[in-house]
Amino acid sequence: MSKDIILTNGRVYDPMHGIEGEVKDICISDGKIVEKVNGSAKKIDLKGKLVMAGGVDMHSHIVGSKVGVGRAICPEDHRKDPVPKTKDTRGGVGYTMPNSYVIGYRYSSMGYTTVIEPALPALKALGSWEEMEDLPNLNSGLLPMFCNSMITFDYVKEGDQSGLAAFIAWTLQKVGGLGVKMVNPGGTYAWAHGVDLRDHEGEIPGWGITPKDVTRSVCKAVEALKLPHMMHFHPNNLGRVGNVETTIAQLDMIKDIKGHGGRDHICHLTHMSFETLSSVEGGDLDWGSIESGGYKFAQYMNKNKHFTADMGQITFGPATTMTGDGPFEFYLYQLTGGKWVSLAVDVELPGGAGIVPYTYSPKAAGNSVQWAIPLEFALSVDDVWRCIISTDHPNAGPFTKYPLVFSWLMSKKQRDIWMEDMHKFAHERTILPTIEREWSLQDVVISTRASPAKILGIEKTKGHLGVGADADVSVYDVDTTKVDFAKNPDKIIKVFSESFLTFLGGKQVSKKGKVKGVPNEGVLTIHPEINESLWARINKELEQKMNNWYSHSFHNYPVPDVYRKHLEKKTVIDSTSVPA
Amino acid sequence: MAEGTHENVVCTFCGCLCDDLKLEVKDNKITDNENGCAISKAKFLHHAEDRLEGPSIRSNGTSTKVSLKDAVTRAVDLIANSKRLLVYGLSSTENDAHREAYKIAEEAGGVVDNTSSVCHGPTILGAQESGEVVAALAEVRHRSDLVIYWGSNPQFAHPRHMNLHTKAAGEWIKDPKTERKIWVVDIRKTISAGVADKYIQIEPGTDLEVISAMRALARGKILDIDKVGGQSVKDLKELVEAMKAAKYGVLFFGLGLTQSKGRHRNIDAAIRLVQDLNHHTKWSMMPMRGHYNVAGANKTSTWQTGYPYAVDYSRGYPRYQPGEFTAVDMLARGEADVLLNIAADPAAHFPRDALKHMGNIPIINLDPKQNMTSLLAEVNIPTAIAGIECDGAATRMDGLPLYLKKVVEPPEDFLPDRDILKMIYEGLRRVKK
Repeated sequence: MSKDIILTNGRVYDPMHGIEGEVKDICISDGKIVEKVNGSAKKIDLKGKLVMAGGVDMHSHIVGSKVGVGRAICPEDHRKDPVPKTKDTRGGVGYTMPNSYVIGYRYSSMGYTTVIEPALPALKALGSWEEMEDLPNLNSGLLPMFCNSMITFDYVKEGDQSGLAAFIAWTLQKVGGLGVKMVNPGGTYAWAHGVDLRDHEGEIPGWGITPKDVTRSVCKAVEALKLPHMMHFHPNNLGRVGNVETTIAQLDMIKDIKGHGGRDHICHLTHMSFETLSSVEGGDLDWGSIESGGYKFAQYMNKNKHFTADMGQITFGPATTMTGDGPFEFYLYQLTGGKWVSLAVDVELPGGAGIVPYTYSPKAAGNSVQWAIPLEFALSVDDVWRCIISTDHPNAGPFTKYPLVFSWLMSKKQRDIWMEDMHKFAHERTILPTIEREWSLQDVVISTRASPAKILGIEKTKGHLGVGADADVSVYDVDTTKVDFAKNPDKIIKVFSESFLTFLGGKQVSKKGKVKGVPNEGVLTIHPEINESLWARINKELEQKMNNWYSHSFHNYPVPDVYRKHLEKKTVIDSTSVPA
Repeated sequence: MAEGTHENVVCTFCGCLCDDLKLEVKDNKITDNENGCAISKAKFLHHAEDRLEGPSIRSNGTSTKVSLKDAVTRAVDLIANSKRLLVYGLSSTENDAHREAYKIAEEAGGVVDNTSSVCHGPTILGAQESGEVVAALAEVRHRSDLVIYWGSNPQFAHPRHMNLHTKAAGEWIKDPKTERKIWVVDIRKTISAGVADKYIQIEPGTDLEVISAMRALARGKILDIDKVGGQSVKDLKELVEAMKAAKYGVLFFGLGLTQSKGRHRNIDAAIRLVQDLNHHTKWSMMPMRGHYNVAGANKTSTWQTGYPYAVDYSRGYPRYQPGEFTAVDMLARGEADVLLNIAADPAAHFPRDALKHMGNIPIINLDPKQNMTSLLAEVNIPTAIAGIECDGAATRMDGLPLYLKKVVEPPEDFLPDRDILKMIYEGLRRVKK
């Protein structure tokens, strides 16, 4: 057991407990935050330093088949960013798709301690578990996709909500998922039939149901199972000019679904950069008529309480787009003419996931407006708790650019500097230049710690510094009483690019950028227990469906314990109220 | 292990990883392999034959049996004193063994390469140029109405590929005999061509020209020649029109495309052709991976080093350079001074220049069985066979990971590759301290 630690004199930001800049001691024992430790504890004086919970990134593509294929086909992405091994760390490479070790180390050195992979093709889960064995210095988790699976469609078509819920519960148990992801429901599948289905009310070929039916059914099933994380939603019609309207329509269509236990939010909407593009009045929905929908969407959010959202902030420079939305990637490939990957995944994602390397330029009309969208949105929402900072790594930019995103949110001066040479559309087609609001430090802490932990349903142990929380702590070298971040955007970037100290489960894993490699801290999973008769039914039905539709056996679908047991931090939930 | 019947066992021979084997085990021997192809039956029923007899060290041409500990100590000694270690193989063992191999390469500042550098390495290079539209096997069965095997002879090398995936009925192809066409493109009439709907014979070494011409035709260009690669442009145009008219086409390709003249340029062209066809209809492609876990070797190498093969750690971080850090080139240049070979038989397959150098350097060989490399090796360490005598994970040709089962006990003291490699790694760490 490691020695107890007491962090003294640090200035603490812990929004889950209403603490904003109080000088306060934090006691750590046996990997947890505790009330107090005895006199023999190791004392670390943090006078003049900033203390907060370890960062929680709820949407970052860090493991799995598409990350692997992306890495493999882009050696040029890593080549200029070598990371030599040290006494305490493995060697590797960086940039938009670092190898697994460097992903963990770089998050550690920025003060992040929990990162969730938001798009798992469930039948390839074994590969992701193998990969997480080599994902050091982090807590992680996986969100399996249920959006383009024939099994989902079959239950939706039959109107069998219990069957659908049981299928979700079975999959989460068998592959070790944390929640439910939806990506372009029905649209990716339709593309396997050669159909470009972007309308949520259009018919999914061969099934007589619509994306709307699928989205609503899955959303209801998530609530019926009482899953802690609500439906994680990448809607239809991503990345198209004017899609703020379709995104709003798709949120409207699930508005009536009641959250379990009276919770307000039933949906987490992903990456604003790609979901809320508007168009100028009378425009043709082409890229020439692009306009920011960020403000409009913020107004919608302020009026409607049933969802949360993350930014997917474009950071400019190299990125690699990768998503379970294959048809969107094909569309993007037609724009770039460069490399294009499509990955079919049997009956779970027939149309395929896609990968297209992309470089965002501030000189490009579309990119500059897309950059402004999530900022305009984040700076116009009433409730920062519902707005999460992300870059949808590596889609809009690598996670290492988070400090830059903080600086845009916290400093009007920084936005003005960046907009100086930007394409004129950033000025003409957005209201960002007129927005004076600047996020406070506490807002950033909410958006990168407290809120993502709450949205993921892991707030008991993550995202805060209260007694009982995991001792995931980040310390930054800045005296917040002596610095005006808004006037010093460079300081924001400097401070948050490298933590002074990062603790993961009570272990010190980084000091001033010098990382100590430790094994993966644990994979968070949800284990919904359904009633026995439903369990028996779903096993029978899935055996039949999988043996019909898959190319491998139902019995070889689950991820074996030998790959999970030592990593898994399982939360069992009672979902027996779902009727058989 | 449990006597009796083991079902849903994954076959660890080729990249198909068929997972429907039904094995009978009696007295720790496999007595029956139901569902397996002839090769699978041979592998499983004869797994106990031709084994290496125990750890051994060769000196002055004589091989002497030693303890595992002594063999590992010698291996560590050789690696610790090497200036340019080459770690090679990996595609016929399971993924956890790969991890230890990369650790050894990193610790020793050596090079690690897998067998894809002599099979589908060009496929990866092609994808690095253009991307890839990757198919999945269940998709092929459910949807494909046109299947092409190019430079691949599945009936011989992947005996159940056609029966299970391209000649079987699926959700939307109820009668594959009438609703799906299979073409074979090759330089000679293979047994697969014999069971296909159409055989298209091209002249050796003309794949790139033929594919490029097809791509031009698919784009509506007019060619001012009559023949390409032995095929008339008129016939090629008909082929292309049929490909555009298909609802869901899949191109399977083998070493006839990756290792013939043009190599990665062939693949690049094929990828671009398939990408172009997606402007008209659905097309995807899949390499016919040979060794059962060569796809896994690419995958593990990629997440752990950043690169799929040909990785050098001499600078303390991974560098990638096919042609330089690939095993054949490392050996042919006389650069490697120790070879750690894991679950492969380079002595049987490498070209003469590489082989010659293998005769000059110490080889540490991990394999369950005797082979050409074991005859050359200074240190031989026998291992348990993954998927028969120990468990593990492997990756199918379309990227699907599968769990390999242990069905019988290995011979006494035969450990999995991963355990032996771990011992070598730990020994190396101790020596280097």
